[in-house]
Amino acid sequence: MPSSLALTPGLGSFLKCLKTNPIDTSIETLISLLKRRQIRHSRSCATATAYLLRSVISACRTTDSAKLIERVQSVGRRLMAAQPREMVVGNIVRRVLGLIRDEAEDDREAEFALSDIGSESQPQTPRAFDDPALPLDRDSLSFRSEDRTTRPPLTSMFSLLSHPEPEHSLPSTPGSSSPSGRLPGHSPSKDVRAEVLEGIGEIIDELGQVDDQIAAYALDHIHSNEIILTHTSSTTVQKFLLKAATKRKFTVIHAESYPNNHEATHATVSGSASDDDNLGLEAFQKPLIEHGITVILIPDSAVFAIMSRVNKVILGTHSVLANGGLVAAAGTRVIARAAKVHQTPVVVVSGVYKLSPVYPFDFDSLIEYGDPSKVLSYEEGDLVDLVDVQNPIYDYVPAELVDLYITNIGGHAPSYLYRIVSDHYRKEDISF
Amino acid sequence: MASTNSDAAVADTKPFDIVATYNELLSSDADLTMPIAAIEALVLLLTQSASSTISETLDLLEKSTAHLKRSIPNPIGLSAGTDLFQRYLITTLQRPGQLGPAGDFKAIRTHLLSNGRLFIRRAKESRDKIASFGRGFIRDGSTILTNGGSRAVAALLQKAADDEGGHSAVRFRVIYVLSSTSQDCNHPNEEPEGMETVRALRSKGVPVATIPESAVAYSLGKADMVIVGAEGVVENGGIVSRMGTYQIGLLAKAIGKPFYVVAESHKFVRLYPLGQYDLPIEQQVVEFKSEEDLAEDCKPQSIADTNGDTSIKLPLCDSVDFTPPRLISALITDSGVLTPSAVSEELIKIWF
Repeated sequence: MPSSLALTPGLGSFLKCLKTNPIDTSIETLISLLKRRQIRHSRSCATATAYLLRSVISACRTTDSAKLIERVQSVGRRLMAAQPREMVVGNIVRRVLGLIRDEAEDDREAEFALSDIGSESQPQTPRAFDDPALPLDRDSLSFRSEDRTTRPPLTSMFSLLSHPEPEHSLPSTPGSSSPSGRLPGHSPSKDVRAEVLEGIGEIIDELGQVDDQIAAYALDHIHSNEIILTHTSSTTVQKFLLKAATKRKFTVIHAESYPNNHEATHATVSGSASDDDNLGLEAFQKPLIEHGITVILIPDSAVFAIMSRVNKVILGTHSVLANGGLVAAAGTRVIARAAKVHQTPVVVVSGVYKLSPVYPFDFDSLIEYGDPSKVLSYEEGDLVDLVDVQNPIYDYVPAELVDLYITNIGGHAPSYLYRIVSDHYRKEDISF
Repeated sequence: MASTNSDAAVADTKPFDIVATYNELLSSDADLTMPIAAIEALVLLLTQSASSTISETLDLLEKSTAHLKRSIPNPIGLSAGTDLFQRYLITTLQRPGQLGPAGDFKAIRTHLLSNGRLFIRRAKESRDKIASFGRGFIRDGSTILTNGGSRAVAALLQKAADDEGGHSAVRFRVIYVLSSTSQDCNHPNEEPEGMETVRALRSKGVPVATIPESAVAYSLGKADMVIVGAEGVVENGGIVSRMGTYQIGLLAKAIGKPFYVVAESHKFVRLYPLGQYDLPIEQQVVEFKSEEDLAEDCKPQSIADTNGDTSIKLPLCDSVDFTPPRLISALITDSGVLTPSAVSEELIKIWF
């Protein structure tokens, strides 16, 4: 790969590699990038996964949806095994699987509709005549209707009483799902694959727009002269604050998130951020201070002391779990807990793509540990031998510490997240 | 439960007695839950009666359901089953196309009548499903506190202890809260509810500690989580369960341990209790008595009278309490792990 040599390994190099290399090489490349943590922001991982799956599906020359599902599942399993804590990878795989299933079912339903027109007219006939001398006809009819009960049950609660059949959940109202949701109706003859590719295109578009969509809610939540506390250099949070800064004057207190993110945070505050993983978009952005916003940078240890003055805490996240809890940069839990003690509202901004249907059975397994030399460098060799240094990168924040989630489809209470999960992922894909 | 001689006598004279059938079903199969027994009783009722029109059937169902609810001291569990059955019938009839108004009523009738066994089997299978969903909660080295005689909890714990299906057995410990009230009922010598599960777990090599209810707060510090069963899951996501569950929930919240409920989705019941005393049952739990009342009680009444004609009051050993949703971390059901607020949505889906 001479072309990608110029780039440092990351999202950019992967996307370039995807264009030039065969699909299997690309899969391997992404797996090794994930394993080596050379691609690590949630959005970069999600984007890479979506692009990879798009290539996988376009390389898969079949119209059989079952085969497509199988292929995506096998690729998805390998990606998830490469980095199980990067939950967005699984989320994107699940959404693509959901897309394929939707398309396949739309087709089947369209066929049903056609056959229904044929058979529907028949029951009418005996009824209209109401002739008791038609028992034969009735019997054959009841047989047919029995056949057609292979239709999905209305809810899972009815599954107890219904005919034996594969499970199926009711399609959600299209209005409540994000753009990637359902596609409009189409004729059954259409190519499933083309529809799925279009759907993945929408997911990729969503990933690109997600921060701006979230930022659109900023003015509802940030008011004049408020004091906002935030943490880490999350682009979602920065865009959110910048949007509000165009109209309002407020103060931002920025905890520096030492030792894993403090450099990026400092750069964000001073406006010298140039993150190659974010495709250079951020470099064009003016920092908050240039909008006349007072930004106060504090060490993480000062969070509790300053919390009594804060009006609102706005946090970015790594991923959000189905129970309303979240996995975010280390130090987030301390902030959320301090906010709880001071009864300060905690708002979490996150794209829907970070919302994982996984239930956190074991919180400890979600926490990733990073490079301990950031805490205690190897130059202090004597000490390294004597103490055990740990550097957790993430924190698990339980749902009761969060007051509001703002996603690209609106604001939600933590207890409502299960609903968004069920809108975006199919039940059969949750554990594949 | 409250199967009595009077019920049996009625069964002889009347063509079909739903109450007796229901009680018979419950006592014949220890694995049967109340909602499923109620559904079975209704299926048998439909087999017996020769109703051929929709409204006739619905009317019959409604009357029998009301009768059944009136004659059983605690109809919360069974009403989940009867409601589900009724709603299934109505929604299937209303759905256009297949079995709906354009279709044949006979078809749905035969489906329901011929598949009675299937429903029971599915209900039991749903416990396995729950067990596979809930398996992830039980981790190596964890200690689980549980109470009561819930079969779903027993299935979950035993499945975790088994090492079949590629999974290796989880090494966990169980603190089993044994109720003291269940002993002094009609069978004073009977072992407390849950002993069977305790034995089954011990035989699988799971260390089990049994504690009285009074020791819950003391023991909770050693537990990592609480898993309980439920008789009914109400609309706001709270549960109606064996007396004593509420206090375990409160204690778990106070100590900061997760509190999980294991329940099949057919136990979801359309009820919105606002508090402990808002349940549609009468329980003799808090009874104020003076010396005079006691003297009066001793004279004419004996224990047997609790099952007499005014026996809608619940005996103490079967009493239940209501655990509000704020104490519940998650519900492990056969349709996945739900937050308490997801329950109302499931219920709304079948009613509207």
